[in-house]
Amino acid sequence: MPRQENRSVFTSERIGLLIVLAILSFIPFYIKDRAIVELIILANIYAVYVASWDILCGYTGQVNFGHALFVGGGAYAAGLLNFYFKVPPWLTIFIGGGVAALFGLIIGTPCLRLRGPYFALATFAAAAVPYGLTDVYWEITGGLDGLYGISPIWPTLTGKYYFSLLLTVLCCGIVYAGGRSNRGLILKSIREDEIGAMASGINTTRYKLVAFVVSGFFAGVAGAFYSHNQLHVGPETLSVNLSILVMIMSVVGGIGTITGPICGAYLLTIFNEMLREWEELRLLIYTAIVVLMLIFVPKGIVPALTDGILRLFKKRKGG
Amino acid sequence: MGTILEVQELTKYFGGLGAVRNVSFTLNEGEMLGIIGPNGAGKTTLFNLLTGFLKPSGGKIIFKKESIAGLKPYDIVNKGIARTFQIVRPFHQLTALENVEISCLSQRGMGKGRKREEIEEKTMKFLESVGLSGKEGMLAKDLPHGDLKRLEMARALATEPELLLLDEPFAGLGLKEISSLSPLIQKLSQEGHSIMIIEHKLRELMKLVKRVITLHFGEKIADGTPEELSRNEKVIQAYLGKGGSALATG
Repeated sequence: MPRQENRSVFTSERIGLLIVLAILSFIPFYIKDRAIVELIILANIYAVYVASWDILCGYTGQVNFGHALFVGGGAYAAGLLNFYFKVPPWLTIFIGGGVAALFGLIIGTPCLRLRGPYFALATFAAAAVPYGLTDVYWEITGGLDGLYGISPIWPTLTGKYYFSLLLTVLCCGIVYAGGRSNRGLILKSIREDEIGAMASGINTTRYKLVAFVVSGFFAGVAGAFYSHNQLHVGPETLSVNLSILVMIMSVVGGIGTITGPICGAYLLTIFNEMLREWEELRLLIYTAIVVLMLIFVPKGIVPALTDGILRLFKKRKGG
Repeated sequence: MGTILEVQELTKYFGGLGAVRNVSFTLNEGEMLGIIGPNGAGKTTLFNLLTGFLKPSGGKIIFKKESIAGLKPYDIVNKGIARTFQIVRPFHQLTALENVEISCLSQRGMGKGRKREEIEEKTMKFLESVGLSGKEGMLAKDLPHGDLKRLEMARALATEPELLLLDEPFAGLGLKEISSLSPLIQKLSQEGHSIMIIEHKLRELMKLVKRVITLHFGEKIADGTPEELSRNEKVIQAYLGKGGSALATG
């Protein structure tokens, strides 16, 4: 079984994912605290943010510092359409994804000619422009306060929760399957060595652009859902902080694995909330733990765990 | 046999430096051609021009009666020219099988849209042909240098090329490894591949080729059989040296 994802540990990874999914499916039945359910909905949204970031950055090695452009693009497209034209949420979510995918195409075409830090800076700058525009066109966007009064996606909390879970499973599932398909393998080869991939006959520019557009689409869908979940759309969806948070979650979970960043999203969203009791020290503790993790588990939690399990299997076989 | 590659007045300047200057030659179908010359002569630049990794400053490259100068590397691969690199470029974190699968998935490799089992079967054939069967599950980063050279060759072959450019295939290999790689190159030639080889290990190169081009300061200074080259004063002065001319005749 030479394909890496065919190794037994990855089959266990799938079993693990099914267990997590089963646990998540029953959350509204055993958690009655509204705030906790809302928190898990938020974690579901972040899971899509990071999975969509990982398909571009983890798989092709193109570090996108402006993922918030896609999230915010989707959020504002959905928010504005719903607020001004009363477009129903189930439709705005797809339109939000489409708008973000279009952003991916427009920004990706020139940016993907750049490499390394130049690419990172270009994406960073690309995301900063619409953030500023929300203030310039404040009469339409609501400026720094944003727009309140966006329709909810579902009238009940339980309905909203299951909708968020369905969306997360669909988006992350597609990204996960894509990452493990032949196309995913090609994206990995681009990350490993773009020149080598070209010498193997791969049109690397096209694959990177497709990854950019797909990344944008799913981030946009999640961003659109976010605006309906919060009943509000504001410039925080376009902020640098959000882009950085997505990157931190991915790095902590394990870049280039899809499942790693998703785990990172759940862990850090919940962890961040747990620290709320120590409000003054929250940022300090959060940063310290993230830095320590990067030092001691640089590959991320999920790869470190799978490596550990693989070693254990080998030892058992050897023994 | 017809001409598969025709290079006319090919030139590449980096600023004021002429790395390749007015180089012209032809290559026949099924022919194996050696490229020699001192370091900095323009050999790898020539390969980079032929494979699209550099755009020529002037001249023509005609492959199977079609101009390919300035095309993207992947377009050139898909037209039927594959190459290996002087310093191997494996996908370190991928297995040997995955490394070769990438080439099978290229447009020319015809892997797109096929079932995974079919692609794996095809990939295994290429790995077997270079003597890497049994190592398909190993990560490229764990393979020894000799195997990486073979892997690189398998990757190039998996694009099903008609012309294969090998950039110093014996570099960094011991005598034992060379003696096992050399018959593989010979086999590829017998199978009908047209091959160009850059190599500094002349004794091994001359056993393989019947024709050699010598480059010096970006210019072609000789084109002929190994015997002709060993008597060529320009080649002796620029590259072989007096003692070295014996190497050229084996």
